[in-house]
Amino acid sequence: MSAANPAPSFPIPVPDADTQPFWDGCARGELLIQRCASCGRWLWQPRPICSRCQTPDPPWTRVSGAGTVASWTVIRPPTLAAYSELVPFVVLLVQLDEGVRLLGYLVDERGDLLRTDGVAEGLAMGSRVVLRFHDQAGTILPSWTLAV
Amino acid sequence: MARSAGAVRERQATVVGIHALPYAKNIGMTERNAGARAILAALGDAGLGVADVDGMFRYVWEGTTEMEMARILGVRNLRAFGEVDYGGGAGAPTVALAALAIESGLADVVVCWRARNRSSGGRPWASQYHATGQDQFERPYHIVRPVDGMAFHARHWIHRYGWKPELTGSVAITIREHARRNPMAMMRKPLSMDEYLSARMIADPLRLFDCCLETDAALAMVLTTAERARDLPSCPVYVQGYAMGSGPEMTAMTFFYGDELGATPNRWVAPELWRNTGLSPRDIDVVQFYDAFTFQIPIGFQEYGFCADGEAADYLASGEHPPYNTSGGGLSEAYTHGFNLLVEGVRQVRGTSSDQAPNVRHSMVTSGNVVPTGAIVFSKESW
Ligand SMILES: [Zn+2]
Repeated sequence: MSAANPAPSFPIPVPDADTQPFWDGCARGELLIQRCASCGRWLWQPRPICSRCQTPDPPWTRVSGAGTVASWTVIRPPTLAAYSELVPFVVLLVQLDEGVRLLGYLVDERGDLLRTDGVAEGLAMGSRVVLRFHDQAGTILPSWTLAV
Repeated sequence: MARSAGAVRERQATVVGIHALPYAKNIGMTERNAGARAILAALGDAGLGVADVDGMFRYVWEGTTEMEMARILGVRNLRAFGEVDYGGGAGAPTVALAALAIESGLADVVVCWRARNRSSGGRPWASQYHATGQDQFERPYHIVRPVDGMAFHARHWIHRYGWKPELTGSVAITIREHARRNPMAMMRKPLSMDEYLSARMIADPLRLFDCCLETDAALAMVLTTAERARDLPSCPVYVQGYAMGSGPEMTAMTFFYGDELGATPNRWVAPELWRNTGLSPRDIDVVQFYDAFTFQIPIGFQEYGFCADGEAADYLASGEHPPYNTSGGGLSEAYTHGFNLLVEGVRQVRGTSSDQAPNVRHSMVTSGNVVPTGAIVFSKESW
């Protein structure tokens, strides 16, 4: 067996110049979203130009990450091998209070992935959530825990 | 230089050949081999030969380029060629580009095809570990399978419209019943509501039978001008019109980051389709909605205007709807990125479906609506 090009255990983000600041922010424990300096529009996913007024280089702006659950799914088999011991787990679509929607895991207070279908936690459409960061084999991923 | 109405009518794109190889879990040959055989058979169906072909269009996801296929078949020169991206959204748009090439005079005999070893060739998502572009914000969370993206839309629709599992269950059962009359269909056992409801979840709220099959398949279609079609032996099926659309803030499978949560590209294709065809939903005698997942049927009926927003459950229960997915679709016939739906749409106009709708004048086919997409109408009569 050759170990020259082992498949990574989890899919890993491959940033480019337009997305690197987001991942750098995550590594520092900060959620950064672009906001147009001219028109104030919050923008997601990352882009080099404001899609509303076409002003270049929307600045990266730190947000609290507080928001509500807009939708979610429960990942179950068949999965990629790295996730097979983790299922079932919940992936949330979170609408930040700023208006943009992002994906993230449902995690506990410490940011650890919950093995759950969300039922015991009382997950519902519109549930308030609080930002946490989940360490997935060294990749720091925005994730959310249900607000108490 | 304006062309006369008569000259325009002479060049109306017309489907003259179709073919599907038998579907299989393992077709036992390469995609290029199966695709070439499907094209030759469709040309045979049309009464045409390789020497007649001067245009080819394909899906970007088709593993064999037009140039490789033309080389294999022995096509001398392609006067028109191209590809459409975005997986299952590409079906109707690929045929639309073929029609456009014919109508504009770029080419006279155009081939479209789809060959895919999606069963024996493995799952494309199982090897995508380096996530660039939109994927970098999705794949690390295991939003990797098509069903993972669909699940967020489906839960939103359930919440918004009050859809019950029995709605999508009835869709799965209806399509299975069509498949049972189709000797080519992969799934011909009856499906009960109990079986549907008790099947395991794959990505909540989607259960096993909400999800399409994994199939090896190869299909092809040949189009030419209405004028040329008159001299051919096959029953001409006229391309009445077509449309494409993406909608705003499109990210394939996961376009839930924009303002309009829950609206799919159908919403943008529909008005274009009705304007381009001069038809309305009342004129459609039979429809093939892209069905990688059951949820695409009720949202399709709503977004194309067969019923009002939020009324799909009552509409489908009323029985007022045209027959849909009459060959068994992606859920029960074969999953071919929607090319089987296109072929079935043509069969319905020819009158050769295994579950033929009565008196078909206009037969509609849509493509995958969680990616940039399109729709097309095949008709019995020419413009
Ligand atoms: Zn702006």
